[in-house]
Amino acid sequence: MVDWFSDNRGLVAALMIFSLVVLFMWALFVGWRDTVLTSKNQVFGDPQRTSGGWYWTICGASTLMLVWFYFSWGIGRAYMPSAANDMCQVAKLDEALSPIKAALPGGARYYKSTLLVARNTAQLNSIQKELLSSAFSQAEQKLLNELIEKIRSLMVISSNPKNLSVETIEKIDKLVLKLDAVSAELLSGTQGLTPTAIALAQPKWGTTHVEIPIAPITPLGILFDKGSVLASKAASLFQTIKNHAPASKVVIEELKSDITVLKNANEIGEFNGGIKAQRVAYVKSLERIFRRLDDGTIFPANSLEGINAAIARLDGAREIAQGNFQLMQALFFPGPGVVKSRTQCSEQGSARWLPKPTDVIATFLKLANPDINSGGGYKGVPLLWWEWKPIAGFVGFFVPNWIADFWPGDYARHRVDGSIELNLKDKILQFATGKIHLGSVPALHGHLWDSVFRVLVAMILGVVLGVPLGLFMGVSRFFKSFFDPLIEIYRPVPPLAWAPLILTIFGITDDGKVFLLFMVAFAIMVISARTGASGTQLSKIRASHSLGASDRQIMWNVIFPNALPEILTGIRIAIGVCWGTLVAAEILAGTTGVGFIENIARTVSDYELIWVTILIMGILGLLFDVFMRLLIKRTIPWRGQG
Amino acid sequence: MTIVRKIGALAAASAIFLMASSAVYAADKLNAAFFLEWATPNQIAKVEKTYDKALGVPVTWTDFKTGVAMTEAMLSGDIDISYSQGLAPFVTAIQQGAPLKMVGIAVVYEANDCFVKNGLGIDASNASELEGKTVAVPLNTMADYAFRRYMTTLQVDISKLKIVDQAPADGAQSLADGLVQMACIFGGSSSKAAREVGTPIMNKQQKIRAGIGSFDVISVTEKFATENPELVRAFLEVTEEANQAWTASDVQVAKVAADAGMKLDTTKAQMADFIFPTAKEQLEQYFGKGGLAASAAASLGMVFSGDSDGSKIAKTIDGSFLK
Repeated sequence: MVDWFSDNRGLVAALMIFSLVVLFMWALFVGWRDTVLTSKNQVFGDPQRTSGGWYWTICGASTLMLVWFYFSWGIGRAYMPSAANDMCQVAKLDEALSPIKAALPGGARYYKSTLLVARNTAQLNSIQKELLSSAFSQAEQKLLNELIEKIRSLMVISSNPKNLSVETIEKIDKLVLKLDAVSAELLSGTQGLTPTAIALAQPKWGTTHVEIPIAPITPLGILFDKGSVLASKAASLFQTIKNHAPASKVVIEELKSDITVLKNANEIGEFNGGIKAQRVAYVKSLERIFRRLDDGTIFPANSLEGINAAIARLDGAREIAQGNFQLMQALFFPGPGVVKSRTQCSEQGSARWLPKPTDVIATFLKLANPDINSGGGYKGVPLLWWEWKPIAGFVGFFVPNWIADFWPGDYARHRVDGSIELNLKDKILQFATGKIHLGSVPALHGHLWDSVFRVLVAMILGVVLGVPLGLFMGVSRFFKSFFDPLIEIYRPVPPLAWAPLILTIFGITDDGKVFLLFMVAFAIMVISARTGASGTQLSKIRASHSLGASDRQIMWNVIFPNALPEILTGIRIAIGVCWGTLVAAEILAGTTGVGFIENIARTVSDYELIWVTILIMGILGLLFDVFMRLLIKRTIPWRGQG
Repeated sequence: MTIVRKIGALAAASAIFLMASSAVYAADKLNAAFFLEWATPNQIAKVEKTYDKALGVPVTWTDFKTGVAMTEAMLSGDIDISYSQGLAPFVTAIQQGAPLKMVGIAVVYEANDCFVKNGLGIDASNASELEGKTVAVPLNTMADYAFRRYMTTLQVDISKLKIVDQAPADGAQSLADGLVQMACIFGGSSSKAAREVGTPIMNKQQKIRAGIGSFDVISVTEKFATENPELVRAFLEVTEEANQAWTASDVQVAKVAADAGMKLDTTKAQMADFIFPTAKEQLEQYFGKGGLAASAAASLGMVFSGDSDGSKIAKTIDGSFLK
């Protein structure tokens, strides 16, 4: 069942997108109708105006989903399941042609030769300026200047089309023919092209580790695949074209011997260390430029015009062959399309880091599968499941081990025959360390539970300790003045600033992470309870006092209820910030948790898993918040009504 | 103009825009990535701007904490060449379809050490006693790879260890605090701290005998390699020259130490274990047919992802720029 859905993601997505569009239109319609109906009888600014409006919620959620579908190429994949494969074939052609295009204005604004001439000239100029009279003798300086001029002349020779060798011209002509053959191939149409059985048997787009099936599965794809084979042959021919002008041979030989002379002089000559290093470096920098020119990579500009034009023709053919497909690409696949690397084709732009909703669901289901042995969970721990936990473990956690040490007597020792008899002291130790059987209870475990547990414990501690302190700070001079400096100094410190200390103070177990989150929750709770308490109307307190209320009654019946709205808002904020700190807390010493999954997924750039963890945290935060809203409605219905 | 035609025109315009934006432009600078606390001779060339002079374009260097971050920066187009990226992040990037290429070997070094806390009495001879203990490992790094190789060699069941994901500095701290019984570490300062309180599970000879070693690579984006092969070549050439000029003299070490952000003695100790293979050695031993680069990458790919295809990673290994 799950496998079927996994293999038919496109279909599932198509249905989802269709229902989302319908839902969006319907909610829009209902919302519009409702707005028209109620617009007359509501006052602007009335909080009542924000109640209700579930249709806008649906409208907003479906918009979000549709945007997600669009930018992750989910819409494109749903309705054009073979598009990525076609784009991959086009990308193959682009990859094959990229070495040629990178050298031509058609692909790179300037001829590569132009850039090389400019770069080499600039380098030669700066080298000539740096010529050190202290390091070289007069004669050597003259030789060096001549040498630089000779290197310059090499560029002049290479830039003149008259100096091109016959062989080079022939090769260029041959390349133009080859490129035109690619164009012709692309224009020959897709008639009679059928994909191979092997290609059709490839896993579908996005269902396996290899994202896009690489062998062509449509006639258009086959056309481009064939084109790319021809193009890569043309590209290898292009790599062999070098401009070794016959006229430059003499100069090259001269330069070689000049450089050898200088090198020998450096070797034999008696120079002190600094001078020698300068001389060697100087000659080396010249040799480097010379060798670059010796490679024959600079061509006369107009000699390559034929290739440039052939590439332009090829680009035209590429457009024509793609036809409407290009429009579809621009409409449904935002971003720079598909890029072919050495090993596979991959989506670029937003689709690279934004996985499709259906893929995220599939990854989530895999993660949520409690059966570790069939590939569920993450790093051997399920996302959320339950297991039998021995009660003895809890006992062992709470009973300190030193109790056994204080019991009179010695621990058991093995006898001559090798047997061991346990005495009472041993049994107490076993009890204290939780190594006895007291029965088992079902308990939750898994990444999700661990994260929720950490946040909940921190929140509970924060509320239980922070709210009373805040209330007392609101009503008592001692509490206010005594704790004020402490709270105010630690409150502005961002929770992550504590991180480096946590490890060494608390170690790698949960308490360090809980403490970090507690620090966040505690400050917020203190401040909100204090603001709530000190914000109580004086008239209410005085009225209850004159009616004979005791201090305790004033606190419990007047100040606390008055502070409750602030406290509950504080809890809402604190939970949000706790979730925000969780990922960082779980970096410290990662063993389990949603933040841990995200940290590890990042190291392998597993964007689907990263998004699953982001969504889990978002949805959990949302659930907490919905719960808090209900609680606020129940406990302080008077809020906003005064 | 009807709406349909308007949309059509808009789409065509955006298509043209997209094509224009995907055009290639020759580089007027080179962005390189490197590690702090990872001392290499080419840092002298970096400091003395030899790279800038030889390439004819300015070279900007950005330091990174992890090889994964290098990959991310290369994918976003901010970095062209990563010097000394770990083999592990390179291979995981390739497995995710990243358009990167290995063009050279930066450093060959002893595998990262896993330090056992002193006083536990655990070494290579009784390593199975580690089972049930807690181990700090920076997951999916070369140290993780080394850890797995050690455990396999010493026949320790990894599933019986409690593995905690910790950055090297944190792992060394946890080892000192006794929170973990073994910590796998990379980086000079962290290794030094871990050595204070722990002993490597396998010594140098044992590692060599078991064939456990690592190397860092020089990786480039495919785009940059295609568009500016001469810059890649020149970069490797300058690196090669810097390696050959390395004599480990005090002046040189001081320069490298200052750039790597380490103390003199730590730098010396770290570099004593480093080998910087020459271009010739790289071509013969690493980039030839059945060379070390391809075989190590394939075996590493198997460790991190079971469905890895070694022959595919081999396609991204290209020694031609060294020639």
